[in-house]
Amino acid sequence: MSRLSLWIVLSVLAICALPFVLERHSTELMIFAAFYAIAGLGVGLLLGQCGIVNLAQAFFYGIGAYASAYGTVVLGWTPALGMLVGVGVAGLIALAIGWPILKLTGFFLALATLGIGIIGTILFFEWDWLTGGTLGIGGLPPLSIAGFAFDTPDRFYFLAWGVALGLLWLAHNLTNGRPGLAMRAVRDAAPAVEGLGVDIHGLRIKVFVICAMLGALAGSLFAHYVSYVSVESFTVQRSIVFLLIPVIAGPRVVWGVVPGALFVTLVPEWLTGFGDIHQMLFGLVLVVVVTLLPEGLTGLPARLGRRVTR
Amino acid sequence: MSAPILELNSVAHAFGGLNVLRDVSFAVPRGGIAGLIGPNGSGKTTLFNIASGYLVPNAGEIRLEGRAITRDSVPARSRAGLIRTFQTPKIFGHMTVAENVAMGLYMKTRSGFAATMFRGPAERREYRRIEAEAEAMMDRFGLLPLSKTRAGELPAGQQRLVEIARARMAGPKLLLLDEPSSGLSHDEVQRLRRWIEELAAEGITILLVSHDMGLMNVCQRVHALYFGKIIAIGTMADIQADPAVRDAYLGG
Repeated sequence: MSRLSLWIVLSVLAICALPFVLERHSTELMIFAAFYAIAGLGVGLLLGQCGIVNLAQAFFYGIGAYASAYGTVVLGWTPALGMLVGVGVAGLIALAIGWPILKLTGFFLALATLGIGIIGTILFFEWDWLTGGTLGIGGLPPLSIAGFAFDTPDRFYFLAWGVALGLLWLAHNLTNGRPGLAMRAVRDAAPAVEGLGVDIHGLRIKVFVICAMLGALAGSLFAHYVSYVSVESFTVQRSIVFLLIPVIAGPRVVWGVVPGALFVTLVPEWLTGFGDIHQMLFGLVLVVVVTLLPEGLTGLPARLGRRVTR
Repeated sequence: MSAPILELNSVAHAFGGLNVLRDVSFAVPRGGIAGLIGPNGSGKTTLFNIASGYLVPNAGEIRLEGRAITRDSVPARSRAGLIRTFQTPKIFGHMTVAENVAMGLYMKTRSGFAATMFRGPAERREYRRIEAEAEAMMDRFGLLPLSKTRAGELPAGQQRLVEIARARMAGPKLLLLDEPSSGLSHDEVQRLRRWIEELAAEGITILLVSHDMGLMNVCQRVHALYFGKIIAIGTMADIQADPAVRDAYLGG
């Protein structure tokens, strides 16, 4: 067994054991970390494999959340149908938006996604017939699949992390196969990739759509868990947090979104102990991490290893 | 008599007001090694970019095996069998040599997103085939000991070899090599020369651009480009004896 698979097994075991030792509040934080890991996985695939900065992920997160909220509360759908519709709609919107904007590259593309993120927030705010505006939509039923209700934090914890780990496995396979090879190659030398017969635009659209669907899935899980959605959850600030997840972790490593998601969930929580300055402190911690660990958190073991053997 | 593999008819291109190519016409017959020489700024790279689709010419027509491809995209031309290398090697620096070479097989393989995510047996089989073929190609180009090295860490000469091995993996009918010998040692150039002849012997038509007159001797036919016009066509010996070429090179 390679060292990597040993780490994977240990991490999965740790994730399984956690709810039995954690108090309720910490379990809830870990559930939020799973949502972040799922949405961050999408952003991470775009950033780490394709070199695309996506600042619109909170928009897709919102689409998933509102589809579940409106579908189950107003239209009386089952949670599974609401989730499916949210993920599907997010994918279609990403396809429609991605087609034109993914012809851009670099900063221009990042700015375009920022624009979409801002428009998304405004739409969530203005279309109050659909989203409830600032009042939001409350009273979502607990998520249930085939009659089994995920109505306690422990149950939801296993659902959210099960989904997150399953998706990580799919993403891991994707990046280690033929499409992943092409995606990483585009990051390094796009003209040469075109010269090998690859339709780069098509490839980027597919990853963008996957990213949006992951965002929507995370948003839908979030909506069911907190049973109430409102526009503050889907601002550009949330998109920046999603982007931080792969950035902090080191975007080229797919499973890095797990430590990345734990970081953006747990560190701010610990820092609240310092009182009003906790947000400033979080900013400071970010600066320190990216300065000391240019490869991100996932580069830490290798860095420590070098130090020990030296 | 079949159509030439590559034809340029009255190709002209200008950057701003500067006429880089003025009415260039020539044909590369199928099979063998053709060359393109010319002093710096004579338009060689522009011509390569136009032939491979990275640049659409202001005027003129490009034909591949008799079919007009002037407006075809780069990937479309690659799929039609036209593969090129670049003056500055465009390797995938963060990827291993093995992965770089494997990328050459992209358009000859088909595993899509869904099959790869769920690791279907067909996908596994295909990926093993990609790895095996890349290994055989690396072995052929003497790159096997470097297969796990990141391509970006290699010296320029070996990056060129990686690029050529990758291009060969793509199964070209026509291979455009842009200055393949620059940055290579004398020994490496000799080996490159043998590989070029070997590729030609396999039936791949080669169009070679180089400053290296020693290397250009492999060409059966050389086209001399000067200020955007073809001024001579012939064997390397003919070209070197041509008064117009001598004037162009010696600043007459």
